[in-house]
Amino acid sequence: MATEKRDKEEEEVKTDDGSLKIKPRPIVQLGIFLVAHSPVFSVVFSAAGVLALLILPLLAKNTYISENALMPGSARSMLSNRDVSDGSKLVKDIKNYRLNHEGQVQKLIGKYMSEMGAEVYYQKFHPEGNQFHPLHFFSGPDSYTLLDNVSCASYGVNVAGIIRAPRGDGKESIVLVTPYDFINGGDYEALSLGITGTLFSLLARVTWLSKDIIWLVADSRYGDYRPVAAWLTEYHSPSFKDSDLLKCGELNTADKFRRAGTMAAALVLKVDGRSERFEDTLSIYAEASNGQMPNLDLINVVNYLAVHRQGFYVKVEKVVSLLSSSWLKIIGEIFEAVGKLAHTLNPDWNFGIPTADYLEGSATLASSLYSQALGIPTGPHGAFRDYQVDAITLKVSPRFPPDSKTRQHDFFLRGAKLLEGTIRSVNNLLEKFHQSFFLYLLTSPSKFISVGVYMIAFALLVASLPMVAASLYIDGCKALNNSTLNPAGNFKSWKWLDAAKQVFALHLFGLIVTLLPYFICQVPGQHSPSNRSIMWGTTSSSLLLITFATIPGCSPFSSRRHGTNWAVLKSVTISAAFIGLCLMSIINFATAEIGALLLVPTCLIVQPIKPALRSRRIKSLLGAFCSMVLLTIGFPVMLFAISKGLFGEGLVGLSLGGEFWTWLESLWAWKSATYLYIGMVHLPCWLLCLCILFHPS
Amino acid sequence: MKVLTLVMLLCYSFAFSSGDTTIHTNNWAVLVCTSRFWFNYRHMANTLSLYRTVKRLGIPDERIILMLADDMACNARNEYPAQVFNNENHKLNLYGDNVEVDYRGYEVTVENFLRVLTGRHENAVPRSKRLLSDEGSHILLYMTGHGGDEFLKFQDAEELQSHDLADAVKQMKEKRRFKELMIMVDTCQAATLFNQLQSPDVLAIGSSLKGENSYSHHLDSDVGVSVVDRFTYYTLAFFERLNIYDNASLNSLFRSYDPKLLMSTAYYRTDLYQPHLAEVPVTNFFGSVMETLHTDSVYKAFSSKTSNNKINSEMPLNQLSEHDELQKANIQNDELKTEKQKCPYTQMRVDLHKKLEKLENVDTVVNLGIAVMLLVVMVSSSLL
Repeated sequence: MATEKRDKEEEEVKTDDGSLKIKPRPIVQLGIFLVAHSPVFSVVFSAAGVLALLILPLLAKNTYISENALMPGSARSMLSNRDVSDGSKLVKDIKNYRLNHEGQVQKLIGKYMSEMGAEVYYQKFHPEGNQFHPLHFFSGPDSYTLLDNVSCASYGVNVAGIIRAPRGDGKESIVLVTPYDFINGGDYEALSLGITGTLFSLLARVTWLSKDIIWLVADSRYGDYRPVAAWLTEYHSPSFKDSDLLKCGELNTADKFRRAGTMAAALVLKVDGRSERFEDTLSIYAEASNGQMPNLDLINVVNYLAVHRQGFYVKVEKVVSLLSSSWLKIIGEIFEAVGKLAHTLNPDWNFGIPTADYLEGSATLASSLYSQALGIPTGPHGAFRDYQVDAITLKVSPRFPPDSKTRQHDFFLRGAKLLEGTIRSVNNLLEKFHQSFFLYLLTSPSKFISVGVYMIAFALLVASLPMVAASLYIDGCKALNNSTLNPAGNFKSWKWLDAAKQVFALHLFGLIVTLLPYFICQVPGQHSPSNRSIMWGTTSSSLLLITFATIPGCSPFSSRRHGTNWAVLKSVTISAAFIGLCLMSIINFATAEIGALLLVPTCLIVQPIKPALRSRRIKSLLGAFCSMVLLTIGFPVMLFAISKGLFGEGLVGLSLGGEFWTWLESLWAWKSATYLYIGMVHLPCWLLCLCILFHPS
Repeated sequence: MKVLTLVMLLCYSFAFSSGDTTIHTNNWAVLVCTSRFWFNYRHMANTLSLYRTVKRLGIPDERIILMLADDMACNARNEYPAQVFNNENHKLNLYGDNVEVDYRGYEVTVENFLRVLTGRHENAVPRSKRLLSDEGSHILLYMTGHGGDEFLKFQDAEELQSHDLADAVKQMKEKRRFKELMIMVDTCQAATLFNQLQSPDVLAIGSSLKGENSYSHHLDSDVGVSVVDRFTYYTLAFFERLNIYDNASLNSLFRSYDPKLLMSTAYYRTDLYQPHLAEVPVTNFFGSVMETLHTDSVYKAFSSKTSNNKINSEMPLNQLSEHDELQKANIQNDELKTEKQKCPYTQMRVDLHKKLEKLENVDTVVNLGIAVMLLVVMVSSSLL
């Protein structure tokens, strides 16, 4: 009791006027300390955030099979030469058929499937699909309603065969997809049919299936994605009205669309091009829309079987230009040296990796981040993710030319063995994939960074924002109090209202700009992308002028009397950016991470340019220059051009506007949240920073 | 008065016979596989292998409670429908014609398991699902599944803790549901499951110590799963060499476990178990071999002390010194209760028989009896 009393006495520090004041709690003290030294801490935190991002390849862990039930590779492959010769025969038949006949190769594949004992059906679909509609964002997969003016001019036909599990309950299925262009498909594409045909021949006679197997040969005449999406839509939302499409063409598809229970997993197989390496190459594509990934276990199983059983060279996409970049190499060397030093200090510290590995890891990580941030699926597997089905695309590149018969046998055998092993693993599953990670970034096919690690970089980056906002607000209030005219003296706490009005107005403007393309698309007549982008640009800028003109104090060029204090404006801007970034990190982390890398430094560094020019001090001039550069880069169109250059696609020059429009169109067509982010967070914050830069204070 | 004393005497004799000196009269086995799911195939194969072994060594099906938490034989993933193998050579189908599963699938719960042990069943539970052991029973309790520090997972949701097991064993002991109990557990950290045991006459053996895993023995690449655990595999290997007449001791079984082959350390707890393991044949638990008693009369068996002497004289395993000690103890017992050397019920029957033999005129006795009966019937009917 006595000690407690003494503690209390110590806490109650006497203030100047003698009244008792309770000492604030430690966390509050810490907050006050951070805000008071915000310039230092903001620099430290931002630098730490960038460093954490660079360090990520070092922190990558080896993947492991998390789900016990999978047991990949524990069963012996049952493929026989008979199965392979079945597959080879299918490929040969397709080749001959296409030489001699015009049209429906689908029938041939259907015949092959039904000979194997599968239930076969054909599905006709329309190639039109994705149309931008502002209200359809996040609204799940479209139910592509039947269009009124159905023309028989263009339609695709999918073939699907179902093998029923002999003793299964028919409640679950595994889907195999082979996109094939029935008209223009090359020899390599036909090989994917050969592999799956080989596998199908085996699966039709095995006794261990617990899930039904669906083989979908998607008509990829109109792209890989659309036929799969159309098939999935019909699979999940049956229509009870007969489509006009049924009457088109010679192929009768009136027989019922068959289903086989919920999908446990889907594998999309593609064969393209010749491998550049000595081994057959297997590329894994996993990113679905809005940065959603399939369960890591699925990738692990495929990677494990491909590497350890079938001897494929497995790779995931990487940014090739980064591999040769010298600055990254220097960073890698530094990390390697630090790692070696740490290892000599304590042999247990083994975080150092060779520079080459670091470069590979960074390039893969950058590609992983970019693909997730873009929010566009990297293959037909994306359509499955919309229905919460784990799916990946496997792109196999054989090391031989497509007409080599002897090599083809071996290739079919190994490809089919890989798929068989994967299917047998998934077949062992008792419930959906749930054990392993869904939120991760890959740095190699067998290394990943989990959400708990990569969040740190983002958290450090944005941590400085609320701190700086608070400190700026305090500064701004002081400045306002010092100014002679203070009409709103009674409303001390409402000082941010003017600034908030401006921030809100510009965010509203951002929303309108985001929705504008929908209306521009409605403009009758055919327009080129460049024209549309010009229309969009002019309407947006005139809207911006109107906004500046109508809302007093909004414009950076308005007279000083109406203008708000720039510090308060910056404070509110930073708060808005912080909220926007945090919201985006929930929807698509990769977008938020890349966005934060651009937006956070811009927001932190920007200051009115006039006082800096007036003072002519090197420090302020440097600051002004930096903010100018950052703001130039931060303009979305500029950003697009730079990213194009980074990814080795070359600068496009005059047609930039058109390209930008096309790019944005693809974003909204795929319902990428990145589009919303650019329009509703990045653009307004960028404009606000511009306002601050040209603030007349 | 005489009847009352008779009843009391009977009760007394029963109470007396249930002591430590009760003889081993029957064998029971409770075999439990606690794991579900296809990838735990080996646990079911373990249990079925043990089932086959104890059946081969003489425990009848009616005295085996077999609990299997899942049906691997009929799993759609099984490449050999309706068959279960514990070896990749596929020579022996464990799921043959005469497998009687008493508790299957979701019936295998901690509750049901404890009910079986303690005998507290609902009325509707058939006798075939009950452990109807008595004070002369040797019980083998075999469990396999996924375990941890002082627990064993049942199905996918429950667990049996070492306290639960110890409590159930204690209840069994108090209810005189066994003479000797052997608990054999093949799980990870199996030894920890015995930590709380206190009841006497319990012998426990586990596949691994605390902090150790129990590993599977080999993978059947046709079926695509591991088919047997190491501990059980080597246990079975030991029993495959034995037949019903072998005299191998428990000690030789326990010595047969090689930590290198097992990849874990087999642990056995003997502090609660009096006899020397070297003198106890494995068939005391894994088989159903009991002493055959040659008695003068059918009912002599009720009196335990006389038979006890006989057992001791017939037991080949007992050494002479111990034999003497036991005899001394028995003599002391005899001095205390000499008056009950003969079974009272037998005595009564014998007396009655003698009296009947003395009667000369059997017919008249019968006739008189009928007349008396008629009279009784008439009186009773008139009263109604």
